[in-house]
Formats: sequence, structure tokens, C-alpha cells
Amino acid sequence: MSQFNRRRFLQTTAGVAALSTFGLPAFAQDKQIRHFWWGNPERDKRTFAAIELYNAKTPGTVVSGESLGFADYFTKLTTQIAGGNMPDVIQQGYGVLFEYIANGAVVPLDDYVGNSLDISRIDQSAIDAGTVDGKFYALSIGANSHMAIYNSRLYEEAGIRVGSNFDPYGYTYDDLKRMAVEIKDATGIPGTDDNTADYQNFSDFTVQKGANLYNEDGSYGPTQEIIEEYWSIWAAIREAGGTPPGQESAGLAGVSELSQLGVVTGKSATSFLWSNQLVGAQGLMQDTLGAAMYPNTPDMIPGSVIQPSQFVCLTRDSQDPEAATAYMSAFINDLEMTKVLGLERGIPSNSEVRAALEPDLSPAEAVSVAFFDAIQGKTAPLTAPPPSGSGEVEQTFERVAVSVLLGEKSIPEVAADFLAQANAILRRA
Amino acid sequence: MTDTTISNTAALAAEYRANRAKRARRAGLLKHLFLIATSLIMVYPLLWMLASSLKPDNQIFGDLSLWPSTFEWSNYWQGWNALPVSFTRFFWNSTVITVLSVIGNVISCSFAAYAFARLEFTGKTIWFALMMMTLMIPYHVVLIPQYLLFLNLGWVDTYLPLIVPKFLAGDAFFVFLMIQFFRQLPRDLDEAAMIDGCSPFKIYWAIIMPLSLPAMATAAIFSFIWSWEDFLGPLVYLNDMNDYTVPLALRMFTSQDSVSQYGPMFAMSILSILPILIFFVIFQRMIIQGIAMSGLK
Amino acid sequence: MEKFFRRNFAGYSFLAPWLVGFFLLAIGPILASLYLSFTKYNVVRPPQWIGWDNYTYMVQFDARFWKALQVTFTFVAVSVPAKLVFALGVAMALDKGIRAIGWYRALFYLPSILGGSIAVAILWRQLFNYDGVINSMLRLFGTDGPYWLADPNYSLWTLIVLAVWQFGSPMLIFLAGLRAIPQELYEAAEIDAAGPVRKFFAITVPLLAPVIFFNLVLQMIEAFKSFSGAFIISGGSGAPLDSLLFFTVYLYNEAFSFLRMGYASALAWVLLLIIAGFTAIAFWTSKYWVHYENERG
Repeated sequence: MSQFNRRRFLQTTAGVAALSTFGLPAFAQDKQIRHFWWGNPERDKRTFAAIELYNAKTPGTVVSGESLGFADYFTKLTTQIAGGNMPDVIQQGYGVLFEYIANGAVVPLDDYVGNSLDISRIDQSAIDAGTVDGKFYALSIGANSHMAIYNSRLYEEAGIRVGSNFDPYGYTYDDLKRMAVEIKDATGIPGTDDNTADYQNFSDFTVQKGANLYNEDGSYGPTQEIIEEYWSIWAAIREAGGTPPGQESAGLAGVSELSQLGVVTGKSATSFLWSNQLVGAQGLMQDTLGAAMYPNTPDMIPGSVIQPSQFVCLTRDSQDPEAATAYMSAFINDLEMTKVLGLERGIPSNSEVRAALEPDLSPAEAVSVAFFDAIQGKTAPLTAPPPSGSGEVEQTFERVAVSVLLGEKSIPEVAADFLAQANAILRRA
Repeated sequence: MTDTTISNTAALAAEYRANRAKRARRAGLLKHLFLIATSLIMVYPLLWMLASSLKPDNQIFGDLSLWPSTFEWSNYWQGWNALPVSFTRFFWNSTVITVLSVIGNVISCSFAAYAFARLEFTGKTIWFALMMMTLMIPYHVVLIPQYLLFLNLGWVDTYLPLIVPKFLAGDAFFVFLMIQFFRQLPRDLDEAAMIDGCSPFKIYWAIIMPLSLPAMATAAIFSFIWSWEDFLGPLVYLNDMNDYTVPLALRMFTSQDSVSQYGPMFAMSILSILPILIFFVIFQRMIIQGIAMSGLK
Repeated sequence: MEKFFRRNFAGYSFLAPWLVGFFLLAIGPILASLYLSFTKYNVVRPPQWIGWDNYTYMVQFDARFWKALQVTFTFVAVSVPAKLVFALGVAMALDKGIRAIGWYRALFYLPSILGGSIAVAILWRQLFNYDGVINSMLRLFGTDGPYWLADPNYSLWTLIVLAVWQFGSPMLIFLAGLRAIPQELYEAAEIDAAGPVRKFFAITVPLLAPVIFFNLVLQMIEAFKSFSGAFIISGGSGAPLDSLLFFTVYLYNEAFSFLRMGYASALAWVLLLIIAGFTAIAFWTSKYWVHYENERG
């Protein structure tokens, strides 16, 4: 269906804009590459500038950028998959990537590695993360991990200090409970958000208990005991007054808006997110944020993983994979382009690029980088990609956990109910 | 309620108008109080948005007051130029699409409505039922088949999928709305005109349309608002940011994994409402003027 | 033959734009979605015919389907009448005889302009949070409000309030309808010493019936298909505990989150049949209460 893949060259003036949009045929002597990402004003400006740089130094190839808000990105991508006119290069997140690989929308890059695509300076862990069944599919453009963020002012007011009575990289759920109550007593604000309905925390906890989210045969890993223990830990913190009331948290289950985090709205002193969201959250509040790992059990088995936040991938519909992969290569390696892109998509996987960026970090970016240095060696190995249906299991967890928060049913009851539903979903998928 | 009863009572009515005016003034004051109180509830969200548009990002969510502690006017010009393409372009794009949509809807839907309301032809009931069916199907499941259709027509990445359906009476809402209003107009008028040898088109143009100004104004207002606010269509069919519309651009300010710009987003949201308000205030007047004219009949 | 042609010519000429649009743009995607409802279709691979499986699964095993139906029916049953009564009341208050009426109308339309934007989602949370504006007001009266958004017993009510609050479009249509009622009729009724209640039931309701009918049918269809409010306020999932799982929200998740386009199409057709059934009932009852004054027979 490439014949419909029209692109317009005429940069029209406002007066004829409407006319030009009624489908002028494209000139086809240049190689046309479309790059599509979910963005925000900052990312868009940087990415378009990087594209301009690339176009200037690569005669014969014209890259065009397309950007949408995250909420709309996958709706449009789904439509384009059905239409067979996906852009050549797309941005992907860790969770969804495997569905796209499984259904063939994203194609392997192995044929281009060493030719148009240079991955020699990319961290091995990042390459592994983009590899499925021995084939390399996705270029990581930023590392990510689970992160707890805390309001340093409130922590200080409660007398909690990093280094003396708080180790952000090695504290337990009991520590969290104690600190949360201390903060509540000292400031009147509950010490932490309630993670009863937070699937990321639950997955961390599962690994900390020595299990995996998915067994090797694709069946569901967490047992009734693990689920019950997880919810009981949070119930204890809640009952001690360390979190906002259960009903308050229930209203936020499944809501992923950064603006609704407890630290941002001032309803708690600690929230939990992905490390690449730290800069965004900091931008919405006045107090300074500190970063910590998720809490652990006294056994201190690592639960968090370091995984790519975003990938760039080559799609099935690309007409010119050589030119597309050459562009992808520059996008992660070219020092001029990566300087323009900065840390905006996360910590780069190219060591040389990382070093070049170090001097111009914002304070919040510096916190992220320090966090990444500190968690090295304290994280769990990356597990096999989740089976299809995993997204639905996650949504189910967030849904049923609300009954726990509202105290409508007993924890064992809800846990059994959740396991039954999760198994049914995985059987159907 | 024929014209004769109306003329009989017209004289008596004049007498009562004076009394009514007096009572109306007293009732008017109460009405105003009630209306002001309710409009406060109605206007609250706008005040809140206005306040948010003037706050720095780090105060929008922690601080609930309607009065910003500092006025961040820069949100407006920052928002205007926040994206790689400026809002001048987005407003222009939205205006082009919206104006064409309004024209298309009013003309093509009034055609179809005139046929359904006033003309006799075989298969009318079936066509009407099919038209209503197009209103009932949830949009999200036709999205992909429709996309494939427009892709095969070569219309993707142009404004055609957003405009052409409007000229083909694609929105059954407006057709049905106009049918209901046309059916209220006196039949005697077009029957008399028919006897005088007027063509159906002449009747449509010289009788039905002028008498239906309130309905047309209503349709124009809705058509304007809905086209202006539509984002699913532009989302799916437009690829180039230079072609984006205002609502699509507004959805690019917030980010889950990086810095959002809420203040500038609210500032641009406020500006994006202005064209709607202006259009509304102008066209709602036609609802009244239209009646003044049809009262002269 | 010639007679047949002459009889139908005018009707089909006026209907032509709609017919072209219907056959070229509308019917294809609708039929495609019907076909897809009998298939397994994940968008990437070609659809696979599975007969009635989607439908039998839905009815026999899918508890969320039934939950979505229940939520949607409750929403329709409560929000539609409430919105219509409210819209008619305000339209009558804004009909005439008040200064600055255009601005009042614009103010009352404001909430509808904000539609389903991100701003509304944030605003709604700030209003209905436990320590939000609504509960602060309740506290002034000495009562403690519930957790509106978290408690499944209340969350749907906040959506109903949102729907009623956005009553602008039926209000505007009522306004246009009221303007079409000859003033003389009311004056005649006053001479007969009719009170406001009698005037309302003897003049306003019968003459406004076509417009009331239109608003009833359209608001019902819209309410069954209602999507954006529940979607943005529940973060897309229908939380808490599926209490905001509107039918179309469920359908959207099946289609675009879990890529079960075939199943989503089946859901859509079930909804379509339900809406068509209720619309047919409304049209059938309209024979008894909607009279088009100027149409004989």
C-alpha cells in the first residue's frame, strides 16, 4: 500500500495551506523515512532539531518526524498497522514491544547490524533487552528502573536523613512503615502513597520473594501466599496511618497521571514511579525530590530490574530499511544529534554518549544519573518477555486491588479471585 | 392552532401585554438571581482553567486557590510557541476545517432533511432507518475499516477525510434535527407555492430555508463546536504536524515520562475556547432574528 | 415508468449527496465491522472466521460485558431524563425577556464546550476529591461527603452529574424550538386565565413535542455511546471496581489495548442492536404524543 504513502514537500504558506493539503503527489527521488514517537513539547523540539541535523548531513535521505501525545500514540499506531502504512521507525515501550514483535509489526535488525546499524558502543544489557529468541529487534534509547521519589523537605522535618537513619538503596517495608508514621506524626502528611493497587511494586515484591511474574511455561508466577503477603504489608502501613486512607487511594487506582501522584498533590511524602518520570514529576512541584529504590524484604533479594524505557524499532512497513536503520544508528550514536536529544528520553545506552552529556545536566537529571550509579549491582536480572495477556493481567490486578483498599472483601478472598482471573486471561490469550 | 385563531386573539393580546410587562419585571429580578447563581456553577471550570493558565506548573496541583499567587503571563506566549509548529498554524488549520465543515453540514444536511421532511419518494422509511443506524454504531469499531477506506482512496494525510463527509450529509444528527424543524413549518406555504409552479428547489430555497434560520443557526453552532473540538479524526488522518489542529496540539503538552507543560496547556485551552464563544454569541442571535422574520410571514 | 421517475425525481435529487456519502463512505465500514464481529482479528494478521464464537463467549463467560451493560443502562436511565428536564428548564428561563441573554446562554453552554478534554479530568478530580470543592461545601452544611471517586457506589453519580452539567446542546435545541412557538398562543391562553402550569402543558409541551422527541432520541443514543467522560476520569480502565466501565470504554479497551478487534466489533453490534431497539420503541410511541401541527394525516 506504499503508493498511498504520500508526503508533501511544499512547505506552504498559510494562504495556500488548505489547497496543498488536498493531496499533492510526492516527488520520489529522495529516500523518505518517517519517524514516529510519543512526545511532549520539549521532546518534540529536540527530536525535530536532531532530525534537521541528520537531514543536513545526509543528502539523499529525508527524514520526517511525526509526534503525538502518549494517550493517542498507540491508537494511531494500531490504525496504521491495520492499514499497512506504519512509519519506518517507531518508538516503543518495554511492555508493548513484545506484543509487536510477536505479531510481526516490528522486524529484526540483525541483517543491518555492522552495516547500516552500529551497535558497537551500546551496553550489552541494552542489547539483550531488545533481543527475543536470539533475534535483535529494538534499540534502547534510555534505561529505566523502578524508583521511589520522596519530598526531601517532609523527610527532613521528620528527622529522616539519608546516610544516618535512611538508606535509599537498602531499606525494608518495615523501615518504610516506621518512617511513614514518623512523617505523619511530624508533619501531618502521610509518609507514603499506598501501593496496594500498584502492579509495578507487586512485580518487584514477587521477585524479592524469589518468584517470577511468569514461569518459564508462561503460566502465572505469584502464588496465593505472595499476593496475600504483599497486600498485608501495605494494609499494615495503611492501618498505622502511614498512607492516605484506603478510599483516597482507591480513587487513584489505575490513574497514571503524574499530576495525581501523592508527592505532587501534597497528599503524601513518597510516591513510586519509573525513573524516567522523575524529571517530569519534579517539574510539577516546588519541594525538591529525592530518589530511592523500592523497599525490600529483610532478605534483600533484588527485585527491581534495569530495563529500557523506550526503544526505536524498524517496522514491517518500511520501504527502505537500509536508510531507516542508518538513521536509527545516527539517532543513538551521533554525538551531535545525541547532544541535542539530551537525557530527555532517559539515560542513553551508549557509554560514549553518556560521558559527553554528563556536564550539562539539570539538578533533577543529576539525581537520576546518581540513582543509576547507585543501583548498579542491586538489581535483578531481566526476565523473559511477558506473554501476551500480561497487560490485561496488570489491569485486572489494579481493578481487584481496589476491593482490598476499600476493605470490601478479605485479602485471601481477593487474592484467590485475582489468581483465578489472571489464569483465565492467560488461557484465553 | 390555525392562523385564524391567532388573528382573532391578537387584539385582545395587546391589552395584556402591558400587564405582563409589569409582572415580568418582578419575575425578572428573581430570574436574574437564579441565573447568576447557576451560571457561577457553570463558569467555575472556566475560572479554574483561567487561574491554572496563569500559574507556574509547580503550583497548579498543590495549590487549589482560584487566585494565582504570581501571574505567569508567559504561559501564553510560551504555549503559543511550545511545539515545533506554532499555534498560529494550528488555529489556521482548525479554522479551515471548521468553516468548511459548517458550510458542508448546513447545505448537505438541509438537502437531505428537506427530502425526508417534505418530499415523497419510494423507500423513504428504509433510507431514514439506515441513516439513523449510522448514528448508533460506536465510532471506535468503524475507525479501522474507515481508515482502510480512506487509505485506498489516497486521502490519508490530507484534510479530505475530515471535510468531504460533511458535504455528503455524513452527520445524521443534523439531518434529523432539521427534519424535526422542517416538519413544524406550515405546509400551506409550500402547497401554495407548488400551485404557483414553484420547483421543489425554489420551495427549499425561498420558503423552507428562510423560515428555518433558528434551526440552521443551531446546526451551525453545533457543527462549529464539534468540528473545532474533534480530535479523533485529525488524530488518525493527519500525520504532518504542520497540518495538526488545535485539539490535537493541546494533547501534546502532557507527558508521562518527561516534563509536562500544564500552565501553557491551560493557556492554549483558554484561547482555543474563544473562537467557539465568539461564534456562539453571534449565531445564537440568529435564533432570535430568525423568529422575528418568520413572525412576519 | 415515467410516472415513477417523476414521482421520485425531486426526492432522490435532494437525497443524492447523502446517498453518495452513505454508499461511498458510511456503509462499507459499518458492514466491515459486522463481518469482523464474526472473526478473530488482532489487526496485524488477517481476520479469521470463527462464526458466533464472539457472541456466545460474551453472553456465557464475559462477566465484564454484563457489568458494562449494567453501568451503561443505569447511566442512560438516570442521566437522560435529568439532562432533558434541566435543559428544558433553563431553556425556558433563557427564552426571552432578560437582559444580556446571549451571554447567559454562552455561560450555560460553557461546560459543554469543555467536553472531554484533559482539563475536565483534572478539574473533576479536584471537585470530587475527598477534600475537594464539593465536600468542602457539604461541610459548610455540617455533613461529611463520601469518597466520590473511590467509592463504587458514588463514582457513577459523579459521571451523571458531569453529563447533566453538560446540558448545553439539548438546551440550545430547546431554545430554537421554543422560539418557533407563536407568542400569540400564550397571550391567548392568558386571556383565558390559564396559569403557567396549564400553559406549559397545553401549549409548550404539545408544540415542542417534535423537539422534545428529537432530544430524547439523540440524548439516549449519545448516552448509550458515552465514552470520553468515563474514559478520562477513570484513567481509561473503568475504575474503581468497574463502576465506570461504560460499554464503549470496555469496547475501546478490547479493541485498542488488547487488540481484540473482532470481539470489540461484536460488542459494538450488540450495543447497536440495543440502541436500535430503544430508538424503535421511541419512534413507535411518538405516534401517540408527537404531533406535527402542520401535517395532515
